[in-house]
Amino acid sequence: MRSNMICGLVLLSALSGHECLAAGGVGGSKAFNPDISVNFLGLVLRDTRGSNLRTDARHNGISFQEGEMQFIADVDPYFRASALFSVAQKDNSTDFGIDPEEVYAESISLPVVTVRGGKFKAALGKHNQQHTHAFPFIDAPLINQDLLGTEGLNEAGVSAAALIPAPWFLELTLQALGTTNTKIFNSPGSGDYAGVASLKNLWDLSDSTTFEVSTYGTEGPNSGGGQSYVFGSDIILKWRPAEGGKYKAVIWQTEYLNGNLQSTANPRLSGIASWVQYQFAERWWVQARAEYEGLPPKATGLTAKRKQSALLGFFPSEFSGFRVQYDHLLADQGDGHAVELQWNFSIGAHPAHAY
Amino acid sequence: MNTIMTKFTILALMFSLVSLVGSSRAEAKLAVVAATTDLASLVSEIGGDDVSVDAIAKGTQDPHFIEAKPSYMTKLSHADLVVAVGLDLEVGWMPSILRGARNPKINPGNQGYLELGSAIDPLEVPEGKISRAEGDVHPFGNPHFTLDPIRMGVAGLALAERLGELDTAHAAAYMTRAKAFQKRMEDKTKLWQARVEKSKVKSAVSYHKTLTYFFTRFHIQNPAILEPKPGIPPTSGHIIEVIQMIREKKIPLIMVENFFDPTVTNRIKEEVPGIHIAVVPVSVDGAPGIKTLDDLYEKLVSTIEGK
Repeated sequence: MRSNMICGLVLLSALSGHECLAAGGVGGSKAFNPDISVNFLGLVLRDTRGSNLRTDARHNGISFQEGEMQFIADVDPYFRASALFSVAQKDNSTDFGIDPEEVYAESISLPVVTVRGGKFKAALGKHNQQHTHAFPFIDAPLINQDLLGTEGLNEAGVSAAALIPAPWFLELTLQALGTTNTKIFNSPGSGDYAGVASLKNLWDLSDSTTFEVSTYGTEGPNSGGGQSYVFGSDIILKWRPAEGGKYKAVIWQTEYLNGNLQSTANPRLSGIASWVQYQFAERWWVQARAEYEGLPPKATGLTAKRKQSALLGFFPSEFSGFRVQYDHLLADQGDGHAVELQWNFSIGAHPAHAY
Repeated sequence: MNTIMTKFTILALMFSLVSLVGSSRAEAKLAVVAATTDLASLVSEIGGDDVSVDAIAKGTQDPHFIEAKPSYMTKLSHADLVVAVGLDLEVGWMPSILRGARNPKINPGNQGYLELGSAIDPLEVPEGKISRAEGDVHPFGNPHFTLDPIRMGVAGLALAERLGELDTAHAAAYMTRAKAFQKRMEDKTKLWQARVEKSKVKSAVSYHKTLTYFFTRFHIQNPAILEPKPGIPPTSGHIIEVIQMIREKKIPLIMVENFFDPTVTNRIKEEVPGIHIAVVPVSVDGAPGIKTLDDLYEKLVSTIEGK
């Protein structure tokens, strides 16, 4: 089936003029075609603090939130490549643009370490590395949006991720990245680089439960002539019983980010988001999230924001999903309430998401 | 930037040290990781004391939907051989684990990766165009061949051949054990077939197409599946159709694979009180006492007999 999906998409995308072969019969040069998938998100939004202009990317009413086209294949015995292009509405326009969200090659023939080069999401927390359609909630946590921007920290650069021999899963990742992120760096010099380091630990507490703790940070020059420092940590507890695990699961995840952007107008910003996801039936999830931005309040000099969210998700299969979310935002400018409905469809050979 | 570069240099040296530690690891026995407990049991049978074996999916888990836990990557990082079912059974999770393991020996295409599905003659290979509108159809055929003792005998020979290539010193022992296992399965299958025939059970309902190879081997029809389409949960409308078919064809037995919710059969039990409903293990370690493939097949045959 996957081969047929790929073939159909190849036809759709005009990458091949040949007819699809029978099931499982991808032959000849087509056997080397990359796995192709398309994912797209639609959104209906009603936000009391939201925009009523269709020229704003996030606006009240119905909208095409984002599409993603992904191509993955081994390049040769040494490298694997992944190219993911996102299609989204441009700000201050009703037009759509295509951006290379993640395009990289990585080693597959080296022991212990994976070396990657290209443009990719930085190892700055679990949420920062997720694509929009895989977000636990419809939107990213406040601190991720306000500190790193709506696209997160996503830069061109190189990365090395080593699996350190240990009784538990222990991974050290080091990255050297560009500094185009407008929120924390925006440093225009082509010779400017930011460093990222991440240490991820995961223990199997039992056949059903895992516990993950990661710490990470980045440092690089910013537009004010100073250095920007961001560090953070995430803690994740997952439970899915070894018996009956198709029907129930619990995830409790907490992420903390702290930014110190020296020589900029708003030098300090930090926040925490914690959420619980509960699968109560084969296709149903209910979730709750609490967020606080502005830690520590005196140091930031900014007004604190608090937000609570609740979500109900229905997933007819692993390739489709519908989620409805309610947000209550508390800030100095006044309370905000938002209700949004999102639909999510994937076709083609979509790769599995990271655990 | 100087401070950053200094930090990077130090950490790069750490990486090199870690790499050396990793590459110097030496295992006395061939370290094999199997995708499922059925395959782990086969590896134990063929490998004997000359291999160490571990499994990823538990016997109580649906092997289509295993989460790619990072701890599995750690497990595979020092494996000499990964044995998978293939036929796209593990397509949702095995590639992530293999990539995360960072162990080139076990990359698909290399000697350290073996899909036993390529060694057997698969059933239900779809013909013509298929789509996901038909549910989770496997384009290369039904992957649940481990429930056929005869095909597992054939798979054992392929496994022995690969183990012998990786460990030439014990190649003869692997092949001897594989042939003995195949002979035992052939002999036992004749006895199991006689018992199934004696039971007079000619047809059964299952939840998913997990038992297709078992039913085919033992000449049991499987005219109804509780899932309306592969991978799609039962609906009330479909259950009514199944009830009608059970009445029309006088089907005496429902076998529910033990990683599915058996409560969907309550409605059937109400409508057809005489039907026998059994929740069955479909993998080694899927229930207490099911420690080997022999135990597993014996349990399924006993269930057909109504025991």
